[in-house]
Amino acid sequence: MLAKRIQPMVFQARRLYVELMFQVMGRALQAVSEVDEKVQNEARALPDGFLFEMMVMPDGSKLIVEHTGQGRFRYHGDKAPRPVDLSIQFKHIAHAFLVLSFQEKTSVAFANDRMLVDGDISYAVRMTRVLNRLESFILPKLIAERAVKEYPADLHLPEKLISAARIYLKVATNFVETVRA
Amino acid sequence: MTNKYYEFFCPVKVIAGKAALEHIPYELTGMAAKRPMIVTDKGVRAAGLLEPVIAACEESGLEITSIYDDVPPDSSTTVVRDIAGIYRQEKCDSIIAVGGGSAIDTGKAVNILVSEGGDDIAKYSGAGVLKHPLKPFFVVPTTAGTGSEVTSVAVITDEAKGVKLPFTSSFLLPNAAIIDPRMTLTLPPHITAATAMDAMTHATEAFTCMAKNPLSDAYATSAIKKISHSLLHVMDNPKDSDGRLELAQASTMAGIAFSNSMVGLVHALGHATGAICHLPHGLCMSLYLPYVLEYNLETIREPLGELLLYLEGPEVFAATPAGRRAEASISAIRKLRDALYKRCQLPRTLKETGKVTEDQLDHIAEMALDDGSIMFNPKEVTLEDARAVLRRAWA
Ligand SMILES: [Fe+2]
Repeated sequence: MLAKRIQPMVFQARRLYVELMFQVMGRALQAVSEVDEKVQNEARALPDGFLFEMMVMPDGSKLIVEHTGQGRFRYHGDKAPRPVDLSIQFKHIAHAFLVLSFQEKTSVAFANDRMLVDGDISYAVRMTRVLNRLESFILPKLIAERAVKEYPADLHLPEKLISAARIYLKVATNFVETVRA
Repeated sequence: MTNKYYEFFCPVKVIAGKAALEHIPYELTGMAAKRPMIVTDKGVRAAGLLEPVIAACEESGLEITSIYDDVPPDSSTTVVRDIAGIYRQEKCDSIIAVGGGSAIDTGKAVNILVSEGGDDIAKYSGAGVLKHPLKPFFVVPTTAGTGSEVTSVAVITDEAKGVKLPFTSSFLLPNAAIIDPRMTLTLPPHITAATAMDAMTHATEAFTCMAKNPLSDAYATSAIKKISHSLLHVMDNPKDSDGRLELAQASTMAGIAFSNSMVGLVHALGHATGAICHLPHGLCMSLYLPYVLEYNLETIREPLGELLLYLEGPEVFAATPAGRRAEASISAIRKLRDALYKRCQLPRTLKETGKVTEDQLDHIAEMALDDGSIMFNPKEVTLEDARAVLRRAWA
């Protein structure tokens, strides 16, 4: 059957997409933390050297960032220099795909039991707000409204900084349209 | 197709009604338990609430092997370790927690230690650490509010480190919750009111927050209906055991609802206020509920409007135009609070508590923003928003 032959391709595409989006988000987190005061204020409450991970269970793609102090993040790719302090784990790649392709809001995914938190809940709450803010930066307004609970009224970021991320995203979205099942 | 998805889980056997306590021996025997330990506090013992539990067991030839009655209001890792020590020494094989939130949480934590081994409860803190079922565990609630008898969470203070350790695992859920109207019959008025409003808040937040789902909705609406029907009646007739049973069942139902769909900003603010100003949890819930509903109003208009049916009954619901029902629900809750204030001075504003100063509001707002419950509030809460809600709740 056709469906049977197509399935592996969809799986492969999903995995690639999630990997790509983790990279986009990791770089964007670092970039946004260098210029956005709101993100800095949220991040400042995290300990220096705090390692945050987002991953797909059981052993899939990863995104690791470190709070280096003063509200700045550094993207570490998918390798953590030491055990992470907070890990947000998607139960399945399909759920990561739903969130990272902006079909399901991060907060909704939490509410829907799509992901688990390993670590201090108050840090998880903070990182969720940072991710919401990030999503409203790198996404066009229309998609961002779907991805976050509320679209912030005060986004003042040089277009240049985010355009790179948006280009990535465009590629990625086209990609999604074709594999969306 | 929508992205809607939910999980619902409640494996707790509910044993409720007249002579419910007398079912404990049968239930214990059914799990091959012969040497139960009771975990409770001094207040429960002083109120004479242990006697019916012990009598019910002894009459069936089941001796209570050990009784620990010194659980403090904020249970600690040391207390848990001590109780586990006694449990082992006395060769107990099961736990019966009798009490409110603290005794129940302590029972859950003790069960971890005596089942998994060791003396360091901190080692098991966090989510999903436990991988095996624990010892037979029964809960007899003596307040009608927390719903802890049906939640998979326990919070224990680590005094040495000055932090609260959370434990989450479905293995913490008791095997059975025994709801007997005798256990809440002597609850003083202000505790009856505050704990019932805690249950009311559990149900209302479960029904209006992000993780609501059809199964928890059913429990939430039934709980709200029971509380609206029975709370004032019980306040005026404290010895009415039917009314007491209604409130106790409502509390358990609200507990089932919120443990599956979580709570929101009322709890985030309440946890922060409890920690900073040392106000009882139920009181904080009653206090913040209408202000938070007003803040969330435009996001929750539809579900909040539906609640009017359960708060005020079919006549009022039918007579209220659909577009006004959400506001009418908030008014109904305010009306209930006024009635409770008249009967037992349950505070409606932060000022009325006499225990909060205006310069603490910023601290409360900051702390609430770090609370896990805020994640499930339907509206994204900023520091400014939290401050604004607190200012409205001030006076
Ligand atoms: Fe509560």
